[in-house]
Amino acid sequence: MSEKVLMKGNEALAEAAIRAGCRSFFGYPITPQTEVAAYMAKRMPKEGGIYLQAESEVAAINMVYGASAAGARVMTSSSSPGISLKGEGISYMAGADLPGVIINVQRGGPGLGGIQPSQADYFQATKATGHGDFHLIVLAPSTVQEMADTVYDAFDLADTYRTPVMILADGMLGQMMEPVVLPERKTEFTPKPWAVTGTKGKRPHNVITSLHLQPEDLERTNIERYERYDRIKATEQRAEEYLTEDADIVLVAFGATSRIARSAVNKARAAGIKAGLIRPITLWPFPTDAINRAAETASAFLTVEMNMGQMVEDVRLTVCGKKPVEFFGRAGGIIPTPAETLTVIERIAADLAGGAN
Amino acid sequence: MPRIIVDEHYCKGCSLCVEVCPRDCIALDPDKITDKGYHPAVLTDESLCTGCTNCALMCPEVAITVER
Repeated sequence: MSEKVLMKGNEALAEAAIRAGCRSFFGYPITPQTEVAAYMAKRMPKEGGIYLQAESEVAAINMVYGASAAGARVMTSSSSPGISLKGEGISYMAGADLPGVIINVQRGGPGLGGIQPSQADYFQATKATGHGDFHLIVLAPSTVQEMADTVYDAFDLADTYRTPVMILADGMLGQMMEPVVLPERKTEFTPKPWAVTGTKGKRPHNVITSLHLQPEDLERTNIERYERYDRIKATEQRAEEYLTEDADIVLVAFGATSRIARSAVNKARAAGIKAGLIRPITLWPFPTDAINRAAETASAFLTVEMNMGQMVEDVRLTVCGKKPVEFFGRAGGIIPTPAETLTVIERIAADLAGGAN
Repeated sequence: MPRIIVDEHYCKGCSLCVEVCPRDCIALDPDKITDKGYHPAVLTDESLCTGCTNCALMCPEVAITVER
């Protein structure tokens, strides 16, 4: 067991990636993600790995494509505008079934936006990171400890399912310092017989491509990929449930916002309102099982996000009209407070009580 | 006279120092933007600073030097 250390979210994530066997990092600096790249620049040479600051985000993601095709455990990181630039390369990776880890330390948008924390890239991460039929596995840490733990798992998930995995963090988690126990160094890795590592005249060529000009071939790759997605949906859903068993009002929040929602739940409980919290850890696959269970017993849902209302759509899709689903959020880099979240919970509680009378 | 010096390479504008300053003489400089894009902390009134080091102890980036 490693000792507990005090680290910044971005740095804990970078160190955990190295311990997970990542020896290739290609990136480009952008606030509030820069410390990931800075830490990698410092550590990679000592680990015998590759750190390269590319000339752009587009170049970086294509280097990730190349390294992944050669079987490397590879990562890139950026913040919101940079992830948009990487979108094309991520789609190519999905099309070529290449594993890789992409970090998004989100900031406010759209456009250049700002540099304060945000969760406004939920749609982009879970629905449309790039063109074509594909999904990423999307993990949402909520503490510095989870910044380390989720990236550590992400490499294995990527290799197991041959898909890019995204860590959807935000500027708050990236910049905050918390105690963290770093994971042990990984020594066993998933074999990659598909990688292009040179045939040495002993086997047929491996081909990595996302180009399939015959529609029948292309459809077949899509169907195969979606069968894999079904397996991921069935086995990899993760969510944390807090006081949901007897909750009337179930909050749904991920990442940094879940910490605020948890405080609001505690305040609501102290005020006699039965509130609970579901914190999706996998945003894709969305934890529909946990939400569905809660929809049987709860009276209402409240989604809290640092955006204008994105994950709330997935909660509504899952709840499917069975119960009302409300939304509260702040955007542009403003962090919602527990007090204003509590005000919304109290209003919903009053509405529910009014409806009962 | 006691005063503080903020290393703007490390300051991330979290404003924890602003919160803990008992003399209310630290603020985020609205006119300045660091290389990373943050408004850095700045001592607003040198005559108020007592060199108590609250800000330096609180700073998560160890970006503040106190002279007294």
